[in-house]
Amino acid sequence: MTYTKKTPWTLIIGIILAAYAWLIHQGHLNVMMEALKTTKLAGEMYTLGYIFGAIGIVVGLWQLFYKHKSGHADYFLSTVGGALLIILCVFVVKFGAEPLFKMWGAMSYKAIGWDFAKTLGFNYILLGIITGMVVVNVFKVPDWAENGVRLSRLGLKTGVILLGALYSAAELAEYSKWSVGLIFVFVLGSVGLTLWLGRLRKISNSMGGVLSAGLGVCGVSAAVASAPVVNAKSSEIAYTIGTILLWGVLMMFIFPPVGRALGLTYEQFGAWAGTGILNSAQVAAAALIYQPHGIETLKVAEIFNITRILALPIIVLWLAVWYVEREQHAVKVNLLQVIVGKFPLFVLGFIVLFLLSTTGMFMPERNDGKGKYMDPVKAKALKDEQIVALQEELPRVAKPEEQAALQRLIETKTVQSRADDVLLRDLASLETTSKPAVAALKDAHKNAWMTAPRVAWFRDVIVWFFAFGLTGLGMQITFKSIAQAGGQPLFIGTVVGSVKAVGALIAILLLKDLINP
Amino acid sequence: MTDKLKFDRGTALSIFKSDRMEDVMALLAALAIVVIVVITVPIS
Repeated sequence: MTYTKKTPWTLIIGIILAAYAWLIHQGHLNVMMEALKTTKLAGEMYTLGYIFGAIGIVVGLWQLFYKHKSGHADYFLSTVGGALLIILCVFVVKFGAEPLFKMWGAMSYKAIGWDFAKTLGFNYILLGIITGMVVVNVFKVPDWAENGVRLSRLGLKTGVILLGALYSAAELAEYSKWSVGLIFVFVLGSVGLTLWLGRLRKISNSMGGVLSAGLGVCGVSAAVASAPVVNAKSSEIAYTIGTILLWGVLMMFIFPPVGRALGLTYEQFGAWAGTGILNSAQVAAAALIYQPHGIETLKVAEIFNITRILALPIIVLWLAVWYVEREQHAVKVNLLQVIVGKFPLFVLGFIVLFLLSTTGMFMPERNDGKGKYMDPVKAKALKDEQIVALQEELPRVAKPEEQAALQRLIETKTVQSRADDVLLRDLASLETTSKPAVAALKDAHKNAWMTAPRVAWFRDVIVWFFAFGLTGLGMQITFKSIAQAGGQPLFIGTVVGSVKAVGALIAILLLKDLINP
Repeated sequence: MTDKLKFDRGTALSIFKSDRMEDVMALLAALAIVVIVVITVPIS
C-alpha cells in the first residue's frame, strides 16, 4: 500500500507558513499585530513559520514529483501533510482567532458587563479542538492528511514526557502525596462501581471489564489495554470508546467554566481535572483551557493523570483475575507478563526527564525549583525615585538584619542574595512599611528572579506539543464514534462519569486549603 | 471505508503498531529535544 498522495497541499501549506513568517519578519504585518496585541509573539511566529514552511516545501516537492513506492519513507513522510494541516490550524487559532476572541470579549464586557471569551475559555486550545472537530465532522479530513492526524497522540505523549523536566522534587512530592490518595480512592471506586453496576444491569463480563478500565483509569488507552485480558469484542470496545469520548468531551467543556465560577486556583483545578475527567487527552485539554498561557494547572493535572496511568497495570491485572474467576473458558494469564506488558513506558520517560532536571542541567544554581533563578549581575536595577523611597524607609526599619539587607539594596539597586530577598519580602509585608517602599521592594524581588532560558524554552515547546496533539485529537473526535455510545454502557458511563466528576469536586473542595502549596 | 482498510500499518489512532512503540518514539523525540535545548540554549 502506498500512503503518499500526489497532492499539492503539503507544498501549499509550506509556502503559506513560510510567506507568513517572511511577512512578519519584514514587519509588513506590524499594524495587524498591534491591533491584535500579538507583537510580543512575533519571534515565535516567524521562527516556527520558517521551520515548518521549509519542511512543507521540501516534503511537498518530494511528494509531488517523486515516484512513490511502498516502504518506510513513503509511510512516515506521508504524515507530514496532515501534521502541517494541524500546525496551520494551531497558527490560525493561536495568532488569529484567540486574540480576536480576546478583543470581542473585552468589547462585550464594556457593553454588557460580561467577558464571554474569558468565562467560556475561548483560547487557542479550546478553539483548536473545536476547529479539529469541525474539520472532521463538517468537511472531513482530506485523504492526504489522514495519516498525519494519527500523530496527535504521539505529540501529547512527547509533551507529557517533556513536562517531567519542569518539576522540582519538592513539587512532585507535594502533589504526589495528594494524587496517590485521591487516585487510589477514585480509580478503585469507579472500577468497583462499574463492575457492580454491570452485574446489576446484567451486561457481559467482557463488556463490564473493558468499561471499568476505561471509566476508572485513564479512558481510551486503558480500555484498549484491558480488552485482551477480558476477551472484549470490538463492538464492546467501540461502545466503551463512544461513552468515554462523549463524557470526556462534555467534561472538557464543562469543567473550566465551573472551576472559574467556584474560584478554584490553578492547583485545585488541576487536581480536579486529573481526578474527575475520564480520558487523559481531555484532562490536558481542560487544564490548558483553564490556564492557556501558563503550565501550572497542566503540571498538577498531569501528576494526577500520570498517577492513575501508573495504576493501569494493577487494574488490568485485577480484571484478568476477576475475569478468569467468572468465565469457565477464560485462559489463565501470566501476572508478571501482564504487569510488564501493560506498563506505560512514556511515564518512565517523564520520570527520566524529571531525574535529568534534578541534576541541574536545565536550571542554573540559585534557582527556586520552579524555573526561576537569581542573578544580581543581570537583574534590572531599581529606578532612582524608588531608591529615594527606600532611603526614606531605612531609619524606620526596626530589625537590624532587615535594615542591613535594605542598605545593601540601596547601595547596589538589586537584591544580592536569597537571604536578602527573604528579609526584604518580610519587610514589604509589614503594615508599617510605606506604600512607595513596598512597591519598590516588590519590584526589586521581581527584578531579582529571572526565568531560566532552558525552562522558558521547554515551556514553549511543551505548549506547542499539546496544542498540536489536542487539535489533531479534535480531528479524531467524530460524531459517529461518539454516537456509538448507547444502551447499558452509556447508562453505566453516565452514572460513573457523574459520580467521579462530582465526587472529585467535593474532595477537592474539602481539601481546598491543603492542595494549594 | 473502515480504518483497517484505510491503514494497513499502525492503528486507527496511531501510525505505530503498538502503544509501546509509540511510547518509545515519544521518548526518543523528547530526548532529541532535550539534546537540542542543552546544546543551543544557555543555562542562564
